[in-house]
Parts: sequence; structure tokens; C-alpha cells
Amino acid sequence: MPWLFIAPITLLHLVVVVAPSIGGMYYALTDWSGIGKADFIGLENFRTLFFDDGNFRLAIRHNVLWLAFFLTVPFIMALAVATLLAQTRRGSMAIRTAFFVPYVLPSVVVASIWRMLLDPRLGFGTLLENWGIEGFAHPYLGDKNTALGAIAFADNWHWWGFLMILFLTAMQNIPADLYDAAKIDGANRWQEFLNVTLPGIRSTVFFMLMMTAIWSFLVFDYVWILTHGGPAGSSEMLATYLYKQAFQRFEAGYGAAIGITMSAIAGIMATIFVLLRRRGWDV
Amino acid sequence: MHTGLKRLAPVLLSLGLLVAACAESAGGPETSAEDGAPEKVQITMWQDTSITADCIIEVAVNSFNEQSDTIEVIAEKKPNMMDAVRPALAAGAGPDVVPTHGPSFVAQFALAGQLMPLDDFVDVYGWDELFVPWALNLGRVGGTLYSLPQELETMVLFYNKTVFEEHGWEPPTTMDELEALAAEIQEAGIIPFAGGAADAIDNNEFYFTEFANKVAGPEKVYQALKGEIPWTDPDFVTSIETLNRMFQAGYWMGSPENFLVTDFSTARAAFASGEAAMTMEGTWIYDSLVGEMFTEDSEHGNDWGWAPMPSLTGEAIYNIGIGSTQSINQASERPEAAAEFLTHYNSPEIQARLLTECQSATAPIRLDPSQLEGVEPRMANLLAEFAKASDEDRYGYTTWTFFPPKTDQVIYEEIEKVWVGDMTPEEYLVAVDAAFQEELQAGETLVVPDR
Repeated sequence: MPWLFIAPITLLHLVVVVAPSIGGMYYALTDWSGIGKADFIGLENFRTLFFDDGNFRLAIRHNVLWLAFFLTVPFIMALAVATLLAQTRRGSMAIRTAFFVPYVLPSVVVASIWRMLLDPRLGFGTLLENWGIEGFAHPYLGDKNTALGAIAFADNWHWWGFLMILFLTAMQNIPADLYDAAKIDGANRWQEFLNVTLPGIRSTVFFMLMMTAIWSFLVFDYVWILTHGGPAGSSEMLATYLYKQAFQRFEAGYGAAIGITMSAIAGIMATIFVLLRRRGWDV
Repeated sequence: MHTGLKRLAPVLLSLGLLVAACAESAGGPETSAEDGAPEKVQITMWQDTSITADCIIEVAVNSFNEQSDTIEVIAEKKPNMMDAVRPALAAGAGPDVVPTHGPSFVAQFALAGQLMPLDDFVDVYGWDELFVPWALNLGRVGGTLYSLPQELETMVLFYNKTVFEEHGWEPPTTMDELEALAAEIQEAGIIPFAGGAADAIDNNEFYFTEFANKVAGPEKVYQALKGEIPWTDPDFVTSIETLNRMFQAGYWMGSPENFLVTDFSTARAAFASGEAAMTMEGTWIYDSLVGEMFTEDSEHGNDWGWAPMPSLTGEAIYNIGIGSTQSINQASERPEAAAEFLTHYNSPEIQARLLTECQSATAPIRLDPSQLEGVEPRMANLLAEFAKASDEDRYGYTTWTFFPPKTDQVIYEEIEKVWVGDMTPEEYLVAVDAAFQEELQAGETLVVPDR
């Protein structure tokens, strides 16, 4: 009776995941403040969210920009460095460790360090100015045009090394004779990468693309620690907006509606990859 | 019953919250009487983890425990104390004595039935004689008393006296003088105003509070709070335009962008060191002012002074604020014991000691000047002027005390859009007014004593 072995974890899952999720769906249809009674108001929260709330639309836009950044920049960096490291023997482990270490640091530590590094009075810009290099002492996190990019930069600093290690591990499982065959066929390094390496790690790349797509709509920690979604909402994300609505404006019902929307987006992302797999994609 | 703020006259000096689900439930066990001594009932109160909190526990809690034969107060230190209160109360737990950020938070908890009505204790413990009447009324929700006010505070213009003396500058009294002086200070290569909102976006409301009351005037703010005029009134537009003009000139930390990435400690360090010449802060800065920023062994060797925040007319106006409140948990099993402790905590003797020994703002209670010996003379003078201004109707309204919570949040969040150019002052005030009218219609505005 194998079901008996999974019963405890299933029960736990029902209590701490399924039941609160159902509760969240219900509260999304109420005007609950987070304390006290909740009055049922139907789809009013969702109507307000999609048709009247400019800050919500702004947050969605920022999450899409975040998605675009994290589906490109860290993947390119990780693929490039993993490919180079796969061919390196001397000092390879030290380099891998160096790139991986930021991933194991707590986000609050990494974000706090970057907040100081990006500070116009204390950060690297001031240091460069002291060395005679002008123009870098800028309030990156206080400028609405650079805040989101600065946060993405800091987050990527800790993230891409992990991605690189995953790709490198996948590359090491590619049979060496495939590379030998490519060389015999006269392939250059770039052709080897395109026709041997990439197909060899395709499933890992697609899995991480899917997870990145989902995580991009859940991002919270770096944004909250560095800017709280500011300045003037220029780095507001769905998760930070949800937090503010539920725990600062006491609109827990509205916050639940934002949460349901975030879950729906994550569900759509996962569905796209499932459909691709059903159509024969090796993902 | 709304008593005018001028009743502050006889007072002479009144000054100025994922975790808690596992918090100990309200009402602790009774202590055993192993040695035959009478059993003491235990009640809990929460304090934060600051040095000031240690002092408060020593002065207010330990003194109570020493004198009481029947009650023992357990002071639990909580990081992010105020954030922990909400989930604790929602779970039917939390301390017997409940702290909140101020009157606008009390209404939420009271309406959810999580706080105990305190009216029955008023006569028993003489709270109506202890507290200034207008202040006690700030704790009423729907006519029922749910909280006792703490930390009476106001905002003024603190200036670096050493820097001012070196340049021959005098504290300004009018807004025109303030702008002219800020320009002169900037020209001298000094930041006119220290300030920042990086670690607390609600710091932005300091500026709305000051400019609305000092440019449009407290009478206009009062009328708007009563719903008699909208927040889009031209005088409020002028207030925000003046504030924004000064922000765009870079008077705060060099630029709006710099202001937005500056935290409290950096701003205060800039002010103390003389990198910045002035700061618009409140009486809550007292402990930091004398304990950290301007100490005898400070390397910068600077001194500080204060002046009323300039107003359009030059009249010295002091905005009244309540920084926090205390209530009794509805789930408390020993509300009488909690009320007895609150009476001790808010007694003139303890409040005077909190001010003189902990540099902590006192509750708005009736204090005798003789009880304030030991208060730094400049701060004592500030508090005396504050009381005098209240007596003479020269008082305004802080957003965190008299504005309903959603309006308050719009005030301090949306103002950044004005500063970064995404919104005009008119559009900003339309947003403020929309939030206020919604809360006014819902009956969620706060008590505003008659002028």
C-alpha cells in the first residue's frame, strides 16, 4: 500500500498548501482587511485590478521586463562561462566555487552589500571618483530610470553562477565521442557549441527557462530589500505590490486577488512548457 | 465630547508590529508561591530591541514589579515588534498590553474586536485626570475608548549651530526666508537639509505634514480633515508646489534621487557632521540627538539648535503628533492587572523618568515642570514652546495622528511621483482627496478635536 507511505506528506500538504490556497481564493472574492470579518464582493477585486489599477499594470510591466532580462542575460553569461570552463582543467574547481559562492549567500546579505556599493556617497562610484574616474557616483537605486536595472544586476550577480554550474554539470554528461566526431567533420568551436553542446544540454536549459519564467513573476526579496518597489513605484513588482496591499493598506482581499493572478500567470508559463513537451519538444 | 486642544493649557508640559502565531497567548500563568509569598499574576507587554527599550523596561516595568505584591509584568523584547502585533492578535494571542503605531492603527484592531474597551477603567484609575482630554479622545473608536496615547511629539527645524555661526546664518521664520537661506547654504557648498526615505518610505509624510500646515495653514488642514473642503484646495496645491520646488532645487541631500537612497542614519550623520546644515525632524530625535549625534566626545565638535519650522506668515506653528498607543488585548485574561500597569506606566513620575533617563517622549499627560529637571535645556525649551503654542491655538496636525490610514499611505507613497516628475502637485492632491473621501464616506476618519 504505497499510498500509506505518502499519506503523511499528503496530509501535511493539504493542511499547509491546499487549504490556505482555497482560503486565498475565497478571500480574493471578499473585502477582507486582514482582520475581522470578510464580506463577499464577487469579482470586484479583479475588476478593479485589471481595469482601474494603474499601479498593478505598472507592476506587471516591471515583471515582464524582469522576465526578459533573466531569460537572456544570466543564460548567455552562464552558457558562455560553462562552455569555457568545460574545456579548462587547471584551477577549474576554484573558479567554479568562486562563481557559485554568491548563490549560497543569504539574499539579505547580498542585497545589503549591493545597496552600499550602489550608494552615491559610499559606493564604488565614489571610489572611482577618488581615483579620478568621474561619472559613476550616481544614485542608481533612487533614480526611477535605473532602479529596476540596478536591482536586476544585483540579483543576477548571485544567480548566474548557479545557472552556470547546472549547465556545466549537464555538459559533462555529453559523450566525448560526439565532440570527436564533430572535429573529424571539421566543425569549429562555434559549430561544436551549436550542434553538440546546446542539443546535449537542451533539457536542462529548457527546464531552467521554465523555472526562470515562473520565478520572474514571484520575485520579492531583492526588490524589497533594495527599494521597497520605489522610487515612485519604478521597481514595483507584483509580489511587493501584493505585500503592500495586504499588510500595509490592510486590503488582504485585494492582495489575495493579486496572489491568485500571480499563480495564474505561473500556471500559464508551466502550461506552455507542458504543451511544448506534448508537441514533441525535448524539454 | 470633544475638548479643544487649548485645554492643554493647565498641562504645562506634555510631550512628546509572520512570527507571532507562535507568540505566547495573552495572559500568562500565575507564579507559584513556593516561599509562601502571595501569588503574583503575570501579564505580558512587548518592547522592541533598542537600547531605549532596555531603559523603558528598567524604569517602567521593573519599578512596577518591585512595588506590586499581586502583579508581575513580563517584558518580552521583539524585533519588528509592531509587525508582529497584527498576526498575533489575529491568532487570538499577543501580549496583554498591545502596542500600536498610533491612533489610525487602533481603529483597525478595535473594529475587528481584538482590543478591549477601556471606558470602565477611566474612572477607576482616574485616566481622565491623568491624560490631557483631547489626547484621551484620540483613542476613541465609535465613541468607545480603546487606546491610551503615547509619545506626544512635534516637528521643528533642527539646525547645525556651529555651521550656522561660522557662516553668520540665522534660523528663518518665514517660508520665503527658508527658501532664500536654503539657496545660500547650497551656494556655500553645504547640503541645506539632511533627510531620506530609503529605510522608511513613511518618512515622506514629514514633508506633507510640515508644508500643508505651514503653507496652507492648520485651519485649512482642519477644514479638510472635517470634510469641509477638499484636499485639492489651491492652498494645498501651493503647499505641494513649494515643497516640490525646493526638492527639485536639490535642497535635500543634493537631489530628489539622493534623498530617496539616503537612510535615517546617513542623514543624521550628515547633519551632525555639518555636511548638511538643517533637518526637519521631530522631538523623537531627542535620544539620538544627545546620545549619538552631538555628544561631548563627538569628533566633529559641532553643536545643535532648533527653531520652529517656518510658516508662510512667520507665525510659529507646532504640529501635534502621537507616536504610538497602548491598548489591552481582548484575549487578555487579566485586563484589570493590565490596566493597573498602564496607570503606573503613564503616571507623571514614570513618564518624567522616561523623559529624563531614557530620552523617550512622554505620553500626553499632565506633568509638573519640577518633574522635568534633568531634561536637556534646549529640549525642555522646545517642549515648553510646544505646550505654549498649543495653548494659543498655534498647532497643526501630523498625518500619522489625524489622517486615516489609506489616505496617509497615499500621502507618503505618491509624493515620490511628484518628486521624480511622474505626477503634478494637482494630480497628487486629487489622489490624496480620492482616498480621503473614500474613508470619509466609510466613516473611517479619525477623531479631530474642535479648534
